Amino acid sequence: MRILAFLSLILVLTSCDDDDAYLVELNLNFEHHVDNEVLVFNEINYENNSDEFYSISELKYIISNIQLQNKNGNWFSYPVEDSYFLINAGVEESLIVNLSGIPNGNYQNIRFGFGVDQSNYPLNGVNNFVPTAEENDMLWSWSAGYIFLKFEGEYQLVDPIAPENFLYHVGSHGQNLDNYRTVELAVDLDLNADTQLDISADVSKIFDATHQMSLQQKSDIQIDPENAPKIADNVVEMFQIQMN
Amino acid sequence: MCRALYVLCLLFLLVACGSDDSSYTDIEDENRVLDFPQPDFFPSPTYDLEANPPTEKGFELGKKLFYDGRLSSTGVISCGFCHIQEFSFTHHTHIVSHGVNGALGTRNAQPLMNLAYMEDFSWDGSAAHLDAFPIIPITTDVEMNESVGNVIEKLKADEDYQSLFAAAFENENIDADNMFKALSQFLIMMVSADTKYDKVMQGNAVFSEEEASGKAVFEAKCASCHSGILFTDQSYRNNGLPINPEYNDIGRERVTGESDDRYKFKVPTLRNIALTYPYMHDGRFQTLSEVLNHYDSGMDHTENLDPIFINDNEIGIPLSDTEKSQLLAFLQSLTDDNFILDQRFSEF
Repeated sequence: MRILAFLSLILVLTSCDDDDAYLVELNLNFEHHVDNEVLVFNEINYENNSDEFYSISELKYIISNIQLQNKNGNWFSYPVEDSYFLINAGVEESLIVNLSGIPNGNYQNIRFGFGVDQSNYPLNGVNNFVPTAEENDMLWSWSAGYIFLKFEGEYQLVDPIAPENFLYHVGSHGQNLDNYRTVELAVDLDLNADTQLDISADVSKIFDATHQMSLQQKSDIQIDPENAPKIADNVVEMFQIQMN
Repeated sequence: MCRALYVLCLLFLLVACGSDDSSYTDIEDENRVLDFPQPDFFPSPTYDLEANPPTEKGFELGKKLFYDGRLSSTGVISCGFCHIQEFSFTHHTHIVSHGVNGALGTRNAQPLMNLAYMEDFSWDGSAAHLDAFPIIPITTDVEMNESVGNVIEKLKADEDYQSLFAAAFENENIDADNMFKALSQFLIMMVSADTKYDKVMQGNAVFSEEEASGKAVFEAKCASCHSGILFTDQSYRNNGLPINPEYNDIGRERVTGESDDRYKFKVPTLRNIALTYPYMHDGRFQTLSEVLNHYDSGMDHTENLDPIFINDNEIGIPLSDTEKSQLLAFLQSLTDDNFILDQRFSEF
């Protein structure tokens, strides 16, 4: 009896792989730029469209819910409970997001979330991301909520004036305001072996994309129902597929 | 063709192994799903019972976690330290919550019951889901002052917890997701719906004259906010408390960033209200009489005072002495003695 069962099992396992399906690894490699230069922390003064000079001391954000669309239009969703990642532009190891078990094939679009989707919260194991978020100070403990973006540094208007700090902390505001966003990028991804996909993030877009953010007008943005959604909109636009 | 063959083989597999594994059903039965004690006169739970069905082992684990001081940095402050069953899971001797090393919080511990029916949690709605709520007390420096990651490490090192998590959850993991799910399983089973009021509503008891008059006053003057069978509309409102400069607690504004939400706090349930003193978000009133006096004549016209309290340029809810004593009698009928004595929720 057992032998028969075992034979059937083998039959089940082998009978359907007539289209050469197998699994591959995809590494997303996040690179950070300001305009066209590689991001350098603290030392360089960049200029935004509001004629403000800024330097960056910290840039961290959460990405989640990674999906890939193949040439037939079907979406593959990476297991949601494993798809929360913290990108810290200042920490090398955090810049590569390793995704394993992806069906081989040709893909035309990649989608990922900025932040944590409240509609799923806290199902799908998102609470297992709490310790990581905690270690990286990406949790508002008093609100049981994730900080999606921490972007900090200094700014000044003209050179002789002493620089002042700026600070953008963006997350969702309880159930009142959802600042989760979806990023979708067209790719031409021939995923028939383990592959690395370079994604470039142009940090200057946080100030200047859909919305123009001026540090002079507001340099401390946290739980700000007017400005936090604008920053979230801008973050969506900072990502770009890097062609090699 | 391939699909048909596959299904056939699969069927055969299921049949072939059935007779050998007599222990299979026993394992299934070991962790029984608990019946959620839904009173038929309550609304449907907001908590998704299918996503995290309370089980015997999950409940047991949740209870152990609830009463375990290791969730705090000093090892002595458990959830149950501030949420004491005989006071409907609140704390009496402290006006605001006390945490590690005697640290003082700024808010009064809320009662724990009927949480399966709440839209969001804490005085300002800062936790959108019960499974995320424990992050707040665990990580707040004036409460348990610990990190969730650290708690998980402590639990992983403990043999009791290793077997309890393995018994409670199919994936057997000791992780934050399972820890919060177990705590929620324990908490949502705390349904309190067996008060004199409930018995009267079911036709199994009769109000005294005083209580009946109190109910009429309540319905005329209180029930627009403390509405429905849960005695709260779950909204956030400013009820005119004079601002305490020591805390200057801005209330819901901290969560939403909206200045319209300044000084607004969750309308609390009134179930077990006689047991849950002190009252208000900062515990400023020791007795229900003080609370009624506040509504009658103690309100300040602070920013965002709820318009419901403003009538003909007067603020407050005028209450005669007779109405006050009738209301007090009625509020006593909202106490559920069986709930506070229920052994399932007791530490010992």
